[in-house]
Amino acid sequence: MKKIFLFSIVALSMTGCNSDDKGQQIDSRNWQLVWSDEFDGASGDLPDASKWGFDLGTGANGWGNQELQHYTNRPQNIALDGAGNLVITALKENYQSSQYTSARIKTQNLFSQAYGRFEARLISPYGQGIWPAFWLLGANIDTVSWPACGEIDVMEIKGQQPSIVNGTIHGPGYSGANAISGRYALQYDRFDKGYHLFAIEWDADKIDFFVDGYLYQRIEKSDVPGEWVYDHPFFMILNVAVGGNYLGNPTNDTPFPQKMTIDYVRVYR
Amino acid sequence: MKSNHIILTFKTLAFSVWLFVGLSCENDPKDFQQATYSKNPEVFIDGFSPTLGYGAFSGSVLTAFQVDNEVTYNNSAASMRFDVPSVNDPDGTYAGGVFLTSVPRDLSGYDALTFWAKATKTASLDVVGFGNDFGLNKYQASINGLNINTTWKKYIIPLPDASKLKAEKGMLLVSEGPENGAGYSFWLDDVKFEKLGTLAHGQASIFAGDNKTETSFNGVQTNISGIQYVVNLPNGINQSMSISSSYLDFVSSNPAVATVDASGVISTLGQGTTVITASLGSESAAGSLTLNSFGTFVNAPLPTRDPSTVKSIFSNAYTNVPVKYYNGYYEPYQTTRSADFTVGGDDVLNYTNFNFVGIEFSEPTIDGSNLSHLHVDLFMPNPIVAGTTFKVNLVDFGANAAFGGGDDTNHVTTFSPPTIVSQNWISLNIPLSSMTGLASKAHLAQIIFEGTNIPNFYADNIYFYNDGSVIPATPTVAAPTPTTPAANVISIFSNAYTNVAGSDYNPNWGQATVTTQVNIAGNTTLKYAGLNYQGLQFGTPQNVTSKNFLHLDYYTANSTSLKVYLISPGPVEKAVVLTVPTTGGWRSIDIPLTSFSPVNLSNLIQMKFDGNGTIFLDNIYFRD
Repeated sequence: MKKIFLFSIVALSMTGCNSDDKGQQIDSRNWQLVWSDEFDGASGDLPDASKWGFDLGTGANGWGNQELQHYTNRPQNIALDGAGNLVITALKENYQSSQYTSARIKTQNLFSQAYGRFEARLISPYGQGIWPAFWLLGANIDTVSWPACGEIDVMEIKGQQPSIVNGTIHGPGYSGANAISGRYALQYDRFDKGYHLFAIEWDADKIDFFVDGYLYQRIEKSDVPGEWVYDHPFFMILNVAVGGNYLGNPTNDTPFPQKMTIDYVRVYR
Repeated sequence: MKSNHIILTFKTLAFSVWLFVGLSCENDPKDFQQATYSKNPEVFIDGFSPTLGYGAFSGSVLTAFQVDNEVTYNNSAASMRFDVPSVNDPDGTYAGGVFLTSVPRDLSGYDALTFWAKATKTASLDVVGFGNDFGLNKYQASINGLNINTTWKKYIIPLPDASKLKAEKGMLLVSEGPENGAGYSFWLDDVKFEKLGTLAHGQASIFAGDNKTETSFNGVQTNISGIQYVVNLPNGINQSMSISSSYLDFVSSNPAVATVDASGVISTLGQGTTVITASLGSESAAGSLTLNSFGTFVNAPLPTRDPSTVKSIFSNAYTNVPVKYYNGYYEPYQTTRSADFTVGGDDVLNYTNFNFVGIEFSEPTIDGSNLSHLHVDLFMPNPIVAGTTFKVNLVDFGANAAFGGGDDTNHVTTFSPPTIVSQNWISLNIPLSSMTGLASKAHLAQIIFEGTNIPNFYADNIYFYNDGSVIPATPTVAAPTPTTPAANVISIFSNAYTNVAGSDYNPNWGQATVTTQVNIAGNTTLKYAGLNYQGLQFGTPQNVTSKNFLHLDYYTANSTSLKVYLISPGPVEKAVVLTVPTTGGWRSIDIPLTSFSPVNLSNLIQMKFDGNGTIFLDNIYFRD
């Protein structure tokens, strides 16, 4: 998420849709819930300020990726729907010299954790140039900067590929175009047609990526060509970006508005 | 490219056609349940699938479709090739036809028709779809304008609601005309139905997704228009499709006000408000129509003018002249839309969101020289507020009979309350003589309505007429045909009777009058041009003492003095003054013969007219 992807990358062998694979379900562990937001609140409310803060505006260089949206905290871009969901809405509108608006929230300085299970159940937006994500950044980013802080992308979807989810980590020596990434493609379905559960399970030696309980990628300490920096607390981010050099910009054919509907975010230890 | 209209006439090809290869539908004949049909998804993989046949559209090149064994996708055995003609190809204007099965198939388990395609050049296929069965085409759906190029690529035609496709024969529909006038070839291969699961967010629309509001009346019928379907393809791009109305279920929220039938025809039945909506399966369609019905419609007053005196622009009472448009949609300032309706067999113009609107009848223009008035019936359904005005702007295109050219003139007539009232028909009769801005009436071409504070109005019976005050220089109709029995008549000049033989209708008495016999609407008529005086010499002296009247039909647009004389030897003559000019056309008069005393009625030898102007005369006879 953080830095320029010079070209598309698809790494590793553990892509999805390989039903012959055994061992893709791992033994369930006795996870203890330590943090969650169920987004139960009144329609139109902003997300709980004790759990989430906002990233606002256009960032530097479009949040490092030449993204096109202006992030706001207006209810038309982010609000509870009164039915137990948080909805982030990307709009096509002229707003302070941007052509699009959307929202990005984070638990920075409110909650962070090293290791455990991080999961979000959500319906993806879709369309060329629409880039939803559920991801983690090292909480020490303000002192060591990116990518030394580490980044774990639990879920990234390119709207023009609504059946494919990407799971990625960025660290020192393997960020941006050289990040370690895997993908999982739904067969006969898309991530924007209904809720799907995106999760990572992370311990000192590895990070496992799941879609709907299916392990589609495991990245171990030995897999990374640089330092393994996933040994300190990370905070979470939810956002819908529009355009940028990861997936290209929207076209006139991209349907707007686009909504990411998040049922819950839960963190276990 | 040709337009997307499909001609539904079926013509089989001489060579291919109806390849019955056995039925794949295997029902137990003892099974009395409803038949279920083959779920075979294959249309054309390496040849025609079972029971598939082909029929070309009427007007298309009947040989445009061929099975091709040379150019195929993935080096398979065969593909479908379509050779699109160039313009002016004598064999047809496009390539198009339908591939349909003789036994229906159950497609309800699929969500898309897919195929691979390529072309000899980049092209946009006019129509590609399915559901055309050369019959009712109940569930036709198509992409209109599918862009293909010179490399094999897979294309998807989504099924809008597969649950309805349990017995479908129309497997594939293709229609394509020349690209920029030029013909080319394209291929389809591996044509089949699939369950992709990767189509999403299907959205049907009526009225192009607009929420419309219209006024209506009992008896008005309108159609649901703007039916569309948009679905998101696996690449995240929205695809628009044309779908038949049968895919949708229509609902009227208040059936006492209006009903809507399965084909989307809305019929207004009563007073009140109803909202017409639609759904596709369980999903609501975008768009709606709110109908506000006033109940019983009061038609505009029935016109009573003689059709021979009328040039009609818009009326069911008359034959209308050619009208180019009733709403010119003038850009960029016009807001007016048209929502015309028919009620009780009467067509009514309905202008909504009105600021101004033009009606043009320029091909050909109307010669208003012989017309006296413009008539318009107006109905304002909304309350009239202060400052309301309604203007009628009549435009004459001038000598060039075309817009512009520096010779156009016009006149605006402005109406305001109390002439303009709400919810009652307003009949305007505007004298053309009051339109001082018109330099000429010879090339009338446009009526432009302009309004202030009138959001909506209806118009009917827009016509020019002559109330008789304008008399054409030459009569446009023949003199009235006489009804007196021939036995009771001594005729001097008439096509209706045998005339007295040997009369001289133009004896040289030294007159300046130019006398001719002219044909007026098939009837021989005497014409006196530049009358000073004019005699008429009977072939033989006439004894008319058994008769009571001299009958004359006369016509003049410009005479200010006209007298008729009977003459007996002496000469003894007596004048009777005739009223001129003949406002309203031909004038028929029966003059008592006693008026001609002391002329000898037993020995009439001549008659005579004097006065001025140009006179037309017919049916000169003596009658009982």
